[in-house]
Amino acid sequence: MSIKRIILLALALVFVSIYLFPLYWMYITAMKGSTGIFAYPPSFWPEHPQLAIIEVWQRHDMGRYLFNSLLIAGGTTLIVTVMGSGCAYVLSRLRNRWMDVVLFAVLMMQVLPSSLMITPLFVSFEQVGLTDYPRTAVILAQAAKMLPLFIVLVRATFLQVPRELEQAALIDGNSRLGAFLRIMVPLARNGILVSSVLIFLQSFGEYVYSRSLISERALQPATVGLQSFMGPNSSDWSGVMTYAAIYVTPILIVFVLLQRQIVSGLTSGALK
Amino acid sequence: MPRFKTGLMNGLIDGKGFDTTLVLLSLGYLLVFSAFPLIFNLIMSFQQVDLFSLAQLVRPFVGWDNYRDVLTRPESWPIFLNTVKFVGISLLAQVSVGFALALFFQQSFPGATFLRGLFLAGWIMPALVVGAVWSWVLAGDYGVLNYGLQSLGLVRDKIFWLSDPAWTLYAVIIANVWLGIPFNMILLSVGLAGIPDDLYEAAKMDGATCLQRFTTITLPMMRAQLGAVISLGTIFTLQQFDLFAALTQGGPANASNVFQYWSWQLSFENYEIGQGSVISMLMILFVILVAVVYVRSTRHEQAS
Repeated sequence: MSIKRIILLALALVFVSIYLFPLYWMYITAMKGSTGIFAYPPSFWPEHPQLAIIEVWQRHDMGRYLFNSLLIAGGTTLIVTVMGSGCAYVLSRLRNRWMDVVLFAVLMMQVLPSSLMITPLFVSFEQVGLTDYPRTAVILAQAAKMLPLFIVLVRATFLQVPRELEQAALIDGNSRLGAFLRIMVPLARNGILVSSVLIFLQSFGEYVYSRSLISERALQPATVGLQSFMGPNSSDWSGVMTYAAIYVTPILIVFVLLQRQIVSGLTSGALK
Repeated sequence: MPRFKTGLMNGLIDGKGFDTTLVLLSLGYLLVFSAFPLIFNLIMSFQQVDLFSLAQLVRPFVGWDNYRDVLTRPESWPIFLNTVKFVGISLLAQVSVGFALALFFQQSFPGATFLRGLFLAGWIMPALVVGAVWSWVLAGDYGVLNYGLQSLGLVRDKIFWLSDPAWTLYAVIIANVWLGIPFNMILLSVGLAGIPDDLYEAAKMDGATCLQRFTTITLPMMRAQLGAVISLGTIFTLQQFDLFAALTQGGPANASNVFQYWSWQLSFENYEIGQGSVISMLMILFVILVAVVYVRSTRHEQAS
């Protein structure tokens, strides 16, 4: 290995550490305990590492918050995957004026900001009584936000499945539905799976809709819980960082495991 | 065995109707939960909507009153300028840092792809949690950023990032740039990987310097890609809400407020829903405009 490559590697490690420093700081702060954090100059290594996971978990009822987050993320992913896969498949197979219009409409829906859509969504949900089921309301709204992204990503996957395989299945006597479910979906399995994971992770951290539609504490997800924990006068930063660490560690683990697939899925879909 | 399915059912799962059904499922869903609210929003921006008329289906129309009311408020111009600043500075910083990192990781050294992928950890995290972490990093008295800046001798006094009106907007921008860098870097890396190596070889033989190669090959070849990250970046930056909620809540006294957060405040904190719809409407129109330009340019790119 040449000197140049070693220097480049060292530089790359420096860049990564600078970038990921906030994450490191989150974990270190969580380990410092409620008094250690007010040392100035701050220490970059916890002298008496302690973790208040159980205490923070119980005091802030994190189980309930995380359950609501899981419920919202799961419901959203289910709706998006079931509806989006079929649409993505058709958009990858047919190319005519109508499909161009549909694709264009889908792309336009993808860019609508949640914080701006929530005003009309809230009022119309209020009028049909959906706000009585706030978590369902959040799932329905979040699914509409995520569906276009899923369609764009999965369409890119279906484009790579050769048409011949589908035609062979049709000649073998499958119906269109049969060919879709038995041949196309299994062949596009990886793309669908990675896109679903992305949708799940994004919805697991959803905030705007939950904050605006769910007023009952017991039904709120972990983002809203974290926000009310931080409050204006909170000084329990070690607690806040412990909460944050408990919340994002599973996300980071999933990310590390699927890093390669997520990167390639994103790059193939985002630019087409 | 003869088929007993009716013609309609048969058409739905087998014939031409199959494609239409699949598309209409998603399209119908999007029409109900995205397109309809959009129109509803447009109507509300011309109505008087408050807590009393919220539940009514028929509300009094007030013409352009909401627009006039909101746009003549003293805070609307500063908030508009903040929005422009927020988008402009965020974009400039995240595209240039993202581009620099993409160029760096394009070189060959062990672990380059893996280390580059680690940056996406920032992108995958919930923005609200990112905001929470940054509000501790940026804290005035005990924040680690102030400590770093002071020990490097860059500032003498601590900067109160989250409460000093001169700095709050920049606090949110810093966190937003952190969130945006990975996305820019990955997309620009894809573009860089698409530039054929022999172009650089040929330029080298002609004696072009490193800088000349960058300005005559890399930049022109990356035009489409840069256009893409700038328009997508504009769209994503205008979607940013969670960081404002976690860091400054638009304060103090709107010093760090932007349109997308203000619109939410008008609707959900002041219950001036008609006014909130006005801001939301104007912003959505702008976002759609950017998206149309972007989509049309990529279509054009593919056609040629």
